[in-house]
Amino acid sequence: MTLVPVTYKGGIFQHDIVVDLIEDLGGYIVQKHIIAQEVVLQCFVPREDIELIRQISRPLFGEVTDSPLVGTEIAIVSMSLEIHHLPHPSCDIAEYVRRLGAKSNMVSLARGPGKRIAGLNDEERDVINEHDIAVYLLGNFEHCIEYKMPTLRRGIEVPIVLCGGPDKEVLQRIIDPPVDGYVGNVGRFMRRTKEAEELEKLDEIIAEITRVLEKKRDAIAKDPLSVSPARLMGLVREQVPEILDVTSPTPLTVQMAGLRVKLPYDSFAERVKKVSIEDGITLGEVAEVLPSRMRDYIIVKVLPFSETNIAV
Amino acid sequence: MQAVEYFEVECPEALGAEYYKQITNDVLLDHNLLKVINKLHIFIDPKVPVFVAVGTLKKITTVVRVRDFANVNPQEGKMTLVISDETHLASMLKIFWERFGKEKVEQPDRFTVILYDVPVTAKEIEETMVADPSESLHKDLIYALRCIAPEGFRLRSEVFTGTKFTFVASENTLAEDIGTLVAEKFRLMGEVPP
Repeated sequence: MTLVPVTYKGGIFQHDIVVDLIEDLGGYIVQKHIIAQEVVLQCFVPREDIELIRQISRPLFGEVTDSPLVGTEIAIVSMSLEIHHLPHPSCDIAEYVRRLGAKSNMVSLARGPGKRIAGLNDEERDVINEHDIAVYLLGNFEHCIEYKMPTLRRGIEVPIVLCGGPDKEVLQRIIDPPVDGYVGNVGRFMRRTKEAEELEKLDEIIAEITRVLEKKRDAIAKDPLSVSPARLMGLVREQVPEILDVTSPTPLTVQMAGLRVKLPYDSFAERVKKVSIEDGITLGEVAEVLPSRMRDYIIVKVLPFSETNIAV
Repeated sequence: MQAVEYFEVECPEALGAEYYKQITNDVLLDHNLLKVINKLHIFIDPKVPVFVAVGTLKKITTVVRVRDFANVNPQEGKMTLVISDETHLASMLKIFWERFGKEKVEQPDRFTVILYDVPVTAKEIEETMVADPSESLHKDLIYALRCIAPEGFRLRSEVFTGTKFTFVASENTLAEDIGTLVAEKFRLMGEVPP
């Protein structure tokens, strides 16, 4: 059974029918938003059952669309929190990615701007490495990008998509060793992205992120995870009910190969490790439970089958 | 940028210059500064790195008076002011309080101010100067240029005279002969440096 990420949009009336259906089919709901009269579900469902969900939700005016970014956590790396980079373009891009189902976090560097003075500290590096992918938003000058990129990528292990002012070909030429994705002509700008061609640029960023994530997904598929992170999410929610009191928008954030649990590590790590999956297998056996560098959260890294010899 | 007589962005990287032209335009438009700038030349060299902005300002003579945003109706023993734009209302009230005392100034609602038994004519009230936009102009301009300049360029030198300004920024110590560069950019606009 292959689970694919989709977004369901529909009216609030009888939406629990769809929720039950997805759960009965063996799918997982990653995020649920109720906005006025509309419900948006971001979920993983079995590929062969998408048509069935479409059929059943048709009388409810439901709509099922592919959204390849569901279940991913993306770091939007902005060079600073100054007016120079916020709200445009950093927030525009972070928000656009979020609309397509990803959980995006903005990572703003303490010493990002400038050429010679740009730097990345260990906390920033570790926080970026906790994500599935990092989207670097750099400036308009190829000379500066060429100069500062080696510093900014030092120690980064996740795939990088680089956005910058110069053309894509120029970016590809100046970055050595190459990063995973490039989007040209998106540097620093001080206006809202609302014109058609600007939105096309945002779509191009999404396409590039999707392409890079697909590659990562394929790599994971070669040595599958011991358990699906979306499944762990449901189990943690059932067995550690304190998570329901957390007021963050996504108290449990699903990643491609992990899960962020927004509870303090010191007091909850043991309980998270003991979450039972099935047949006496606990979460601690199939995943590493580590302290996150982001606040005092817990980060769960699911181990591949080759390491645990368990697949649940 | 139609209101500006001369506007150029000079940079060894052509695409970078284009982006910075757009940024400059957006920032000046946002801060409502296009109408005060006469000429503007920006030079950026990321290799040095240095950012230079030089330009001239238009003479601003328009001070804001009471008549620009209020109708003054003299009546028996009092004067009623009907406000059409609240922007300068607070500073106007402050002036009246100082001049006539709080007991003679009443504001029954947002758009009405009544003055009781004031020893001046309606004409004098109308001509009272409330604000001078040129006072905060230099502050606004420096802020706008800081937004335009690349953020890492934190070492700055600014010269603002009545009608001319230069703004130089870099992340390294500014060269001692930066004045020659500034003068050269002024010459490109057909101006002499301040």
